[in-house]
Amino acid sequence: MELLIRNGFVYDPINGVDGEKMDIAVKDGKIVEKVNERKARKIDAFGMMVMPGGVDIHCHIAGSEVNSGRLLRPEDHFRDFERKTAVTRSGVGYSIPSTFTTGYRYSRMGYTTIMNPSMPPLEAKHTHEELSDTPMVDKASYPLLGDWWFVLEYLKDGKIEECARHVAWIITSTKGYAIKIVNAGGLEAWGFGGNVQSLDDQIPCFCITPREIIRGLCKVNRLLNLPHTIHVHTNNLGKPGNYITALETMKCIEDLATENKPIIHITHCQFSAFKGGDWRTLESGAEEIANYVNAHSHVTLDMGQVIFTDTTTMTADGPFQYTLYELSGNKWVNHDVETETSAGIVPFHYLRKSYVHAIQWSIGLELALLIKDPWKIFLTTDHPNGGPFTSYPRIIAWLMSRKAREATLKKINPRARSRSLLPSINRELSFKEIAIMTRAGQAKALGLKGKGHLGIGADADIAIYNLNPETIDPSKKYRIVRKAFKRAAYTIKNGKIVFKNGEIVKHLDGATMWLDVKVSEPAKISEDMRRRFREYWTVECENYPVTENYLEISQPINVEAKV
Amino acid sequence: MITLTPKKEFRFPVIAECINPDIFHDKTTKEIEELKIWEGNKQKMLGELFKVEENRTENPQEREAITINGNLNKVRRIGAGMKSGEIIIHGDVGMHLGEEMKGGKITVHGNVGSWAGSMMKSGTIEIHGNVSDYLGAPYRGSIEGMRGGKIVVYGNVGNEAGAYMKNGLIKIYGNAGQFLGLRMRDGTIFVEKDSGGRAGACMKGGKIVVGGFLESVLPTFTIDSIKEKVKIEEGETIAGPFYLFIGDLVENGEGKLYLSKEKNPHLNHYERLL
Amino acid sequence: MTVVKAVTCPVCGSLCDDIELTVEDGRIVKVKNGCALCESKFLGYNSEHRLLKPLIRKKEELVKVSWKEAVGRAAEILAEANYPILYGWSSTSCEAISLGLELAEEVGGVIDNTSVVCHGPSILSIQEVGIPSCTLGQIRHRADLVVYWGSNPWSAHPRHIERYTAFSEGRFERSAWKGYLNKIKASIVRKKIESAIRRVFFKGKPSAPSNIRNEPPSTLQKEGRKLIIIDVRKTRSAEIADYFIQVEPNKDYELLQAFRALIRDQEIDVDTVAGVPVEYLEEVADLMIRCDFGVLFFGLGLTMSSGKLRNIDAALSLVRDLNMWTKFVIMPMRGHFNVTGANTVFTWQTGYPYAVDFSLGYPQYNPGETSVVDVLLRKESDAALIIASDPVANFPKAAAEHLVKNLLIVIDPHMNATAQLADVVLPSSFVGIEAGGTAYRMDHVPLPLKKVVDPPRGILSDEEILRRILAEVRKIKKRRAEES
Repeated sequence: MELLIRNGFVYDPINGVDGEKMDIAVKDGKIVEKVNERKARKIDAFGMMVMPGGVDIHCHIAGSEVNSGRLLRPEDHFRDFERKTAVTRSGVGYSIPSTFTTGYRYSRMGYTTIMNPSMPPLEAKHTHEELSDTPMVDKASYPLLGDWWFVLEYLKDGKIEECARHVAWIITSTKGYAIKIVNAGGLEAWGFGGNVQSLDDQIPCFCITPREIIRGLCKVNRLLNLPHTIHVHTNNLGKPGNYITALETMKCIEDLATENKPIIHITHCQFSAFKGGDWRTLESGAEEIANYVNAHSHVTLDMGQVIFTDTTTMTADGPFQYTLYELSGNKWVNHDVETETSAGIVPFHYLRKSYVHAIQWSIGLELALLIKDPWKIFLTTDHPNGGPFTSYPRIIAWLMSRKAREATLKKINPRARSRSLLPSINRELSFKEIAIMTRAGQAKALGLKGKGHLGIGADADIAIYNLNPETIDPSKKYRIVRKAFKRAAYTIKNGKIVFKNGEIVKHLDGATMWLDVKVSEPAKISEDMRRRFREYWTVECENYPVTENYLEISQPINVEAKV
Repeated sequence: MITLTPKKEFRFPVIAECINPDIFHDKTTKEIEELKIWEGNKQKMLGELFKVEENRTENPQEREAITINGNLNKVRRIGAGMKSGEIIIHGDVGMHLGEEMKGGKITVHGNVGSWAGSMMKSGTIEIHGNVSDYLGAPYRGSIEGMRGGKIVVYGNVGNEAGAYMKNGLIKIYGNAGQFLGLRMRDGTIFVEKDSGGRAGACMKGGKIVVGGFLESVLPTFTIDSIKEKVKIEEGETIAGPFYLFIGDLVENGEGKLYLSKEKNPHLNHYERLL
Repeated sequence: MTVVKAVTCPVCGSLCDDIELTVEDGRIVKVKNGCALCESKFLGYNSEHRLLKPLIRKKEELVKVSWKEAVGRAAEILAEANYPILYGWSSTSCEAISLGLELAEEVGGVIDNTSVVCHGPSILSIQEVGIPSCTLGQIRHRADLVVYWGSNPWSAHPRHIERYTAFSEGRFERSAWKGYLNKIKASIVRKKIESAIRRVFFKGKPSAPSNIRNEPPSTLQKEGRKLIIIDVRKTRSAEIADYFIQVEPNKDYELLQAFRALIRDQEIDVDTVAGVPVEYLEEVADLMIRCDFGVLFFGLGLTMSSGKLRNIDAALSLVRDLNMWTKFVIMPMRGHFNVTGANTVFTWQTGYPYAVDFSLGYPQYNPGETSVVDVLLRKESDAALIIASDPVANFPKAAAEHLVKNLLIVIDPHMNATAQLADVVLPSSFVGIEAGGTAYRMDHVPLPLKKVVDPPRGILSDEEILRRILAEVRKIKKRRAEES
């Protein structure tokens, strides 16, 4: 099928297009030079904005922890439901939508590629079953490897290459996309109810430190030539004073950087940018982190913005979730996974009038505004931890409009307002910068070649928003901007119109992308390995990998490793 | 005044949140008949299931009232979320009567299903009959119990009446089932007759008064004193004597559980601790 | 002759996946590594009650018909129903469950799995309190205190103790198997001596069996893993335990709440709770606080005794509270091999784990209201599809009575009680033996089910049958839409 999008204002930062009026031609799911004008279906995008489909680098949408969150919270769903239509399945929201609804709601906002950031390898089949039931978007998932016993043991012995071969095996067998590290070492300690406090704490029984794990996996990542960097949830997350840990984490691999390329992604950085000795004296550490990031090129970040709403927190960081339970007294789920990782879930309500929550809200925006280069920081809420992904348009409005920020600042806790750096920040992001932070930058950081841009050969994943950059001043009319990003005029996936006139018009299954990592000497499933496997896990080695039939549409990406 | 009469004996669940004085307000009979209602998995119009009659009256209070006559035990969500006006029902009613009610009054001359007055915020529900479980209790997974208002039941109630109650008053002139006032935080529950076991389980605050028999007090309650009388609401005090227990210890609770001394002689061994 | 390794056993929620089957001429002839339940399933599944042809009731008789006719009739029943129920699901694959949900949505029905009659109340409590849990390997590696409450793993989940808990060998904890052997030996010797003494001195008059509960709990002072069983009667599992607490029937809630108070060092006004002296409870509470990693498994004995979901509420709260002092986790002992999978798939597609009502075109959930047993007791349904379950045999009588008044479709490999009273019977293959798929272990670990042998000729998988019904329902609805 051919499609021609005419006369839109195109924002394609990767290809240096900044709001120029031009046509975009689509054929067989790809962007092409031109199409047969008479035959092609035409979309008149006059007075509208055309962008690559949105890319989300970090949002918890599938797998065992997300589903435990769903199960835990009927009260989150019962008022927010979606009826079945002629083309769509029914479902529920709010903060942890059911799978179909997740896909539809992303599509409604013009998003087309989603990264699910935490997959316990043992339960990877579950993640993939859910991803296969998440329509409208392409997706991928990051296996949790920072506390995997094999990794800890190889790194302790300094066997980087063996470790790399095993990581290659696990990424390929779990159909994963990147190395995810959560509170390195802390989750193993949590197995007995403990945690680590600094990068140099010894992990009980394993004679290794978080610093060694992060550095080791960073080296592994490079040896394997993976498209994305290591994806790190820092130690001490959610604790006052932890901005120092975040800085140390970035510094600890500084020497491994080459060619000004990013080698680490610090995710939901807001939660790692707390200054102050305790909750009472909590302050923003955004400035310190921004200064560091502005001076270095080996780091990318995402915001992890907080929204004032009732949401559900869920991370693999078991000890952090327990702390949240203690703070809030809300119901608490813990799910430790043998030999690998843990997970925790606690419902949480961010309140404008709470000092801590208001400071957190401010930190996220400060990070995004103080970091000068939009290619280094991306828009996320760490869905659903800071708030549901459906609140992205709200964040876009805050980033583009000082006035929007002031409107919210007026309503927050007064002490937090007086401490916030936001009143001193005049920066208002442009549409180009928003396009970078919500798609181009994310795609680039992920190494997704066909996503996040509209160049010839790119995937025809396109969002059209009903906004005319020539007539609208986003600084003043931020509400209109918010509304437009909330509901795309058109969402196009694989070259097909899937969303228009406020409705899903086509149910389309997206692909699951995964890395087929080729190493010269693959990790062998030897008898010794089989024996260790039996000792470590309670399932048979044969039953551990995710076979391709678990992926509705499988899209392997070949990676040639350097080992 | 609007009078509704079911046109048949319902077999499938009927979801009728449209039966609400706020929605009927200012609508003609025809418009009321066209309101959407679900019977099983089919959407219908109110007029297909109910005969709708309007009796003109000058009394402004009565004008807002809805009277329903007949067996409504399959009809759910009547008066859900209502803010004002009155519903009078002659017959049995199904689940979720007056759920999340914010004002007005519902009177039932008959029995009522579970979750009556669930998550109620204000208003009055008066039931001249029995009620099933979860009276005034929240939705699954939620801790938002009754926030205010008043529920009076002249018959018996099932389990978990007043669970997670935050405020308001529940008066039961018959017997109550198990777990009366479960996890309640404030407000008052009065049961004139007997209560099933585990009354006040996990309560953090509030007051439960049982005028009749309670088989045993949870081990996590501690005896405080014997009181001669206890106040139920403004202007209503019940004469005792009552054993006053404090609990639930497992929640570091300070809830008050009053039990009639006369009706509970098996609890006299607690007196040695006083 | 071929040997198939690493087969997942489709019997109980333990989902052992190390079974080795020997297949000869398309038949399973040998089972290695399995327990008695597993062996009898793999060797005896193909009984004489096997259904081999689709059946339809015509003039009061079930008669053999073609697949097309049977599927057509089933689709017609569902498409025309005003309030159909779709029940079972816990003994089939996730892939079939997924199709079942799609079908339920399409026909505006109430879909429910067997949780409603087993751990449904547990789920309701989890939704109020949460649940600190883990995968079973975590327990194998770390647990030094294992408690089973209202559950008899020795009989219902025979390899649970050996694979995952007290008798398994972990990285940080050794198996307690040797200690158990010594204990059994000692007890045999003791019994021999006792009986000899009896013979000599008392002329065969039996002495009352010694009740462990009344002995001081010295066994709890031992090193290494400890196993505690709490139940209303002394089960086989209780005999191997280090300590057995016999709780007065229907007093579990009081006992749990007492433990909650004791671990907070609170004084209790009474001397015994649920028939157990408070001083013993204090010992056990102390043990719970002092362990490095404790686990509480609970079974239907706790979920279904008086108090139901509130018993679980108390158990979950107890374990959560224990995490103030140490690491403690809790897990329900799930029965059917894929009941956890049913909950899991239901939840990701609809937001809710069981009792989902699609009658308004979107998922609604409120057990008690939307749960199948309650729907039947209120006599509200008019059609039913039953898959991989036999509710006529195991539902409350009044519910079963209404069920058979519905137009009834049964998908099952066997002619069970429900099938005998059905209007349409669709014979299916055995999931995990004759058809593949996915199942979830009680700790939410997904495992592949293998197709080991072929089903009898002409028999379809649950998945295929549901796919055909769904396609047929859509055709009927399309036709109807065009007509009107």
